[in-house]
Amino acid sequence: MEAPTRHKLISGAGKHTVLLATAVVLGFPLVWMVLSSLKSNFQALAVPPVWIPHPVQWDNYPQMLSAVPFYRYVLNTLMYAAITIVGVCISSSLVAYGFSRISWRGRDFLFKVMVSTLLIPFFATLIPLFVMYKRFHMVGWYWPLIVPTFFGSSIFSTFLLRQFFMTIPQSVSDAARIDGANEFTIYSRVILPMAKPAMATVILFQFVYCWNDYLGPLVYISNQKWYPLTLGLGQILGTYTTNWPWVMAAATAATAPIIILFFFTQRTFIHGIAIQGTGDKG
Amino acid sequence: MATQQADVMADTTQTRSQQPARRAWSRRLTRPTRNGLLFVSPWLLGFLLFFAYPFFATIFYSFTDFDGTGTPKWIGLTNYSNLFHDHLFWVSLYNTGFYTFFELPLSTLAALGLAMLLNMDVKGRAIYRTIFYIPSIVPIVASCMVFVWMFNPATGIVNSLLNDVNITGPGWFFSIFWSKPSLILLGLWGVGQPMVIYLAGLQSIPAELYEVAAIDGAGAWHRFRKITLPMLSPVILFNVILQLVACFSYFTQAQVIENANPGGPGTSTWFYVQYLYEQAFAFLKLGYSSAMGFFLFVISAVVMVALFKTSNRWVYYASEG
Repeated sequence: MEAPTRHKLISGAGKHTVLLATAVVLGFPLVWMVLSSLKSNFQALAVPPVWIPHPVQWDNYPQMLSAVPFYRYVLNTLMYAAITIVGVCISSSLVAYGFSRISWRGRDFLFKVMVSTLLIPFFATLIPLFVMYKRFHMVGWYWPLIVPTFFGSSIFSTFLLRQFFMTIPQSVSDAARIDGANEFTIYSRVILPMAKPAMATVILFQFVYCWNDYLGPLVYISNQKWYPLTLGLGQILGTYTTNWPWVMAAATAATAPIIILFFFTQRTFIHGIAIQGTGDKG
Repeated sequence: MATQQADVMADTTQTRSQQPARRAWSRRLTRPTRNGLLFVSPWLLGFLLFFAYPFFATIFYSFTDFDGTGTPKWIGLTNYSNLFHDHLFWVSLYNTGFYTFFELPLSTLAALGLAMLLNMDVKGRAIYRTIFYIPSIVPIVASCMVFVWMFNPATGIVNSLLNDVNITGPGWFFSIFWSKPSLILLGLWGVGQPMVIYLAGLQSIPAELYEVAAIDGAGAWHRFRKITLPMLSPVILFNVILQLVACFSYFTQAQVIENANPGGPGTSTWFYVQYLYEQAFAFLKLGYSSAMGFFLFVISAVVMVALFKTSNRWVYYASEG
């Protein structure tokens, strides 16, 4: 409070030093990834290391992207994301509505059941699920990853939407009821339009989830034609370890879209995570 | 149409007055329940079909010999007794336990530490927050690629830098001793998610608490122990739970890196669910891997129950006290 300005300046500089050093350490891997992706293989392996690529090997990108069906992988991932986003938006918003805008017996109990399923390891139910999907001839394509999203499988989305729905005053629903609206009309015409920001968060998270999902496709997608980006990348890493600039070019190409997306949607992102973690700070 | 009208009437009377009419009363009780169940029915169906059924089926399969196509053959406890005599089972369990034991406290400290750095009153906080958070949205496979490259024993930048300060760098992902610590480092790089949650928690602590403590002459450490930690404890519990769930199912990073590193550092990065996965999808021993699945459930249930039981000793809910 009455600390002299000089003291404050020093501690301010100290804070910046700590923050800056941390930022350098945490930021370094991505910087190194991009730098490596622009080097020749010879430069990448040089001892002592070459920091700045010279000359810049832009060619690594077109070469890498044509050596593997990269665009095909991206399209598969986009399709996977688009379909599951539809599923999550429909089912999670319905379920979240039932868990927040209507009060009924057993609601809180069922909600607890739903949340507690998050604690059960994915692998504890994987085997029978696989057998079941196999019996229904759904293995080999994205069906096993898509169908559950239409049945409220994205519990984080449901949770997030519920938190948001609870912040809307009950009087909004009451007014619609007096006007003769039934529950579904209130959901679709009143509450959903108000929930656009929350829905945007859900869409964003589902997109990032699909872009990153490795395990789901690994279990169910066997045909390389249908590989999502993650499986494609895994294969690149297994195949091209003699050409690290290519591997880094692939890693950069897979990372860049998600970081660009993050820059445009930062607030939605950070806010969404904070809601999940701190509960009712909607 | 008429019944709908009546229902709406019943609903409006419900909010307006406590009308004791019997019809209205019974409707008041059942209609919201019916509506509520209808709205949550997608999840309820999904829960029964994609969760409850496979959960119990896992238990059933674990007592059978099953290759996925024929009918499961009942063999009693054979899978379990084989499991407990299986060296690789114990190795994978140990590796998973090792990873969890170190990753859980270290990532909690890292996330909390970063959040506290970001909570300081300095210029450019938003930029730092962005830089600290970004690693956690990098696709896991891409971050594996970068780490395997950076930590390459012979040509990686890390050992090259260590060499500059006269330290002979270890074999990292290629070394039996360093492979798990390398994976832990990879995990620590991506703590952005819990960090953001901690930051939100920190920012929701009322400033008056600190002001009062400062007037009372409490030092920084004291304020941290007596205000920050208790106020943050529910958030810590939340993050620890999520982190535990992730650790028990630790798979992707180890699997991806092993692909790049065939032969790998022995079985030192052979994790529990990788072994489960291999038993099921490479050897088609679905009964055996179901036994592993159920055993994993039991372990995680025991840990979770223990965590919740002890949590009332250290988790402080402001609204209650």
